[in-house]
Amino acid sequence: MGLMQELQRINIKMYLEDPEALSAEEAFRVFNSWIPTTPDEVLIDVADYSHVPEGPVTLLVGHEANYSLDNDHAEPGLLYSRKRPAEGDLSARLSSALQAVIKACQRLESEPSLDGKVKFRGGDILLVANDRLNATNDEEGENALRAELEPVLAKLFAGASFAIERDTTSQLRLNLRVRCDTNANAATLLSNLAA
Amino acid sequence: MSTSTTWKERLAGKIPADMAEEIDAFETQIHLRKQGKMEEKLFAETRLRRGAYGQRYDNGQRFDGTQTQQLLFPEHETKGPDTFWHAPGMMRIKIPFGGLTAAQMEVLADLAEEYSEEILHITTRQDFQIHFIHIEDTPDLMRRLSAVGITTREACGNSVRNVTACPLSGVCRTETFDVTPYAQAIMSFLLGHPDCQDFGRKFKIAFSGCEHEACGLANMHDMGGVGMVKTVDGVEKRGFKLYVGGGLGAVPHQAQLFNEFVPVEELLPISQAIARVFARLGEKKNRNRARIKFLIAKLGIEEFRRLVHEERAILPEDPQWTAFLDDLTVTDEEQLKPGQPLNGAETSEGFAEWYRTNVYQQRQAGYVVATVALPLGDITSHQLRALADISRRFVKETTRTTVEQNMVLRWVSETDLPQLYDELLALGLAETGAGTIVDITACPGTDTCKLGIASSRGLATELRKQLGEQSAKLDEAIEGLRIKISGCFNSCGQHHAADIGFYGNSRKINGITVPHFQVVLGGQWKENAGSFGLATGAVPSKNIPEVVSRLAKRFVEEREKGELFKDFIGRLGKREIKAMLEDLTQVPSYEENSWYYRDWGDTRGFTMDDLGKGECAGEVVSIGIMEIAAAEREVFEASVALDENELQAAWQGALNAMLRAARTLVKEQFYDVPEEADVVVAEFRTRFYDTELFSPKFANYLFSAHQDPASEFEQTQVHRFIEEAQLFIEGAYTCYYKIAAPLEGAKA
Repeated sequence: MGLMQELQRINIKMYLEDPEALSAEEAFRVFNSWIPTTPDEVLIDVADYSHVPEGPVTLLVGHEANYSLDNDHAEPGLLYSRKRPAEGDLSARLSSALQAVIKACQRLESEPSLDGKVKFRGGDILLVANDRLNATNDEEGENALRAELEPVLAKLFAGASFAIERDTTSQLRLNLRVRCDTNANAATLLSNLAA
Repeated sequence: MSTSTTWKERLAGKIPADMAEEIDAFETQIHLRKQGKMEEKLFAETRLRRGAYGQRYDNGQRFDGTQTQQLLFPEHETKGPDTFWHAPGMMRIKIPFGGLTAAQMEVLADLAEEYSEEILHITTRQDFQIHFIHIEDTPDLMRRLSAVGITTREACGNSVRNVTACPLSGVCRTETFDVTPYAQAIMSFLLGHPDCQDFGRKFKIAFSGCEHEACGLANMHDMGGVGMVKTVDGVEKRGFKLYVGGGLGAVPHQAQLFNEFVPVEELLPISQAIARVFARLGEKKNRNRARIKFLIAKLGIEEFRRLVHEERAILPEDPQWTAFLDDLTVTDEEQLKPGQPLNGAETSEGFAEWYRTNVYQQRQAGYVVATVALPLGDITSHQLRALADISRRFVKETTRTTVEQNMVLRWVSETDLPQLYDELLALGLAETGAGTIVDITACPGTDTCKLGIASSRGLATELRKQLGEQSAKLDEAIEGLRIKISGCFNSCGQHHAADIGFYGNSRKINGITVPHFQVVLGGQWKENAGSFGLATGAVPSKNIPEVVSRLAKRFVEEREKGELFKDFIGRLGKREIKAMLEDLTQVPSYEENSWYYRDWGDTRGFTMDDLGKGECAGEVVSIGIMEIAAAEREVFEASVALDENELQAAWQGALNAMLRAARTLVKEQFYDVPEEADVVVAEFRTRFYDTELFSPKFANYLFSAHQDPASEFEQTQVHRFIEEAQLFIEGAYTCYYKIAAPLEGAKA
């Protein structure tokens, strides 16, 4: 439990409703436009990895965190990867990471050049503890992380029930796939988190 | 659940003591620098020697398509001159001779996930690189690597870099003997060796088992060894034909033969003696002349050889010199399964083509080497981890990286190939065309490199796409050609040794910068990089695919039976090639077609900040640019003369071109400058060299030639001098762009 509190590198992915909705080229162009227009974090560059399958198709490199159009397991979505330490306890850090990824999804959904075709599934989230030292992918690790995460999810989904599943493959990082039967949009989710 | 709070604690006892100590020391140096207690240049060299490299935009500036923006990193500490502490950097990871175990692959995959973004890049020196790493993560990254026997020490900096070797060593059908244990021995011996710590520049070593294949590319290395066997008193002895002073870089040098046969017992002491001579006499102040190739060119090979032997004679005896010979099996590989032929088993769609291009029959019956072709040398952490698993199940972890940015699985029983193919296919790792024209090598270029001028990876992606679409129709003669691309003249993409090579540069059209690539033709990959190509002209990036298309078409239509591409290029002649590509050098105005003004794979304008500065500036610039373009033409003429073996004329033409470009620049400040060479050079020195307006590296090419004109003309020297003249012209363009705008402002 103690070590889990050290977890800083938190990855959260939200999935596209339509897997074809956002191309690598579109993501590249939009992410580039974010670099000079995002005053609250340092965004540095965009990298194209569309030539490798099931990877970070288009990567927006930041100082505090990276964003990518991620295609792991051929399930495209927006992946937020926190890199630098964030403030607060683990619960607060999980909450702020969720907030960051949802905000980015909302920004993509409202990006004029994408004509409103990009929508994310509000009730399908992957959380990866990107730190094999402090968060091992075993039952103990899962329990420790769930203890911190579940209250945050209860808030996020406004009390709606949700299910959590872990891919137990030993070489993977500790990961929790969260599914909730909700059609809440980004604005609602952000509002729930802030409540 | 882990109980360790740090990786240092977790891995205690698993890291060799000396490595653990070094990494701890580096971690301390990080703290010292962060507290301002270590000078930034010293820290920069320290981290470079640990493999921690800078990356593009680490000076805190990035052009966003309309203007240069400041990247507002939270603090202002630096990890080197103009290098922000918090800017992401690159970690270079040495993989001697490319050999990897499954456990090493798994750790590399873990690191790419936890410290980067799941991508690993294989370099043209068989290294791995992971990008976007924070400096403060590097000690743990090094510890985790060290625990599985990998070091990043001396992966960068002025040191002995990764020792490379042919990825087929030990299984090759034409090799003299397996060079792997010798590569391993020299790597271990020279790593951190006191005689290798005071170089003025890096030092690269490669080993080949064959003289006539591409093999280890011995001819383009600071030191290259080609395995040889000699019978002495009826006993067969192993040794190396040893080459020194080769290298690519801005001006490529073919290696010179140091000794026809260095017995294996002498390999390490001779290498040590070479290192001592290089450290003692090599240039230190002028980094652009500090590679050993310049020292050897200055001394002459005979004098260099004499000095090395003199040094060898006084070296204190070291048991390490021969200890490794007691166990040359240390790098031997074992087979997991008996070697068996295919036996007509049913195969999936696509297998036959993959088998044709990606499978090499080992000299050991029933075994093959399967190449995993990696577009742009990139592989994801998931793929690498899965490949580790494959390397355990299909072979006994006998995997290597290659200088063509691929990976190979050795000792695959041929009968397993259909299943292996299916598994690779499921992982997205069954790309066909290994070692063919679609298997394009590209350095990182503008994607991540600080020195990149044009997008080598963007161009490679486009060429791969276009050639891939035509692959079924490609003539056999075309299929075997190599394309290699560098983002600048520094040759990390090894463009000089390709049939068709490109390096990034730029030109201004009406005041707007347009990405270009210099077309380099006539290099040879085989024969250990047997010859280097020469620049034939700069073409806008967007027209490069058409350059490839035209060259390929002409080659298919006009080649003589069995004619190599380099010989065809020689026969065609540069004048004809220039004429063939002439229309492709033209760039429409920005208003006509802005597409030319963006690089491949980038949505930003190349230099949009110059847009609108005025066509007046363009006009003023155009006068000078015309003159520099004329000088560039003179370089071209010189290369034609070289082809025609008119060596003196070629040399003089190249010198005249430099003088013309220099005078053009001087004229911007001293309109009535006379034409006398002495005056031009003196004025150029005062106005552009002393003021550092002009690249000192390129300026020295002119000064050397002017001060010490050649009296005898030799093909290789003149070839090199023409390369220098071309680079001087590049420098003239850059300098002109720098000085033209202020002058225009003054006139206004």
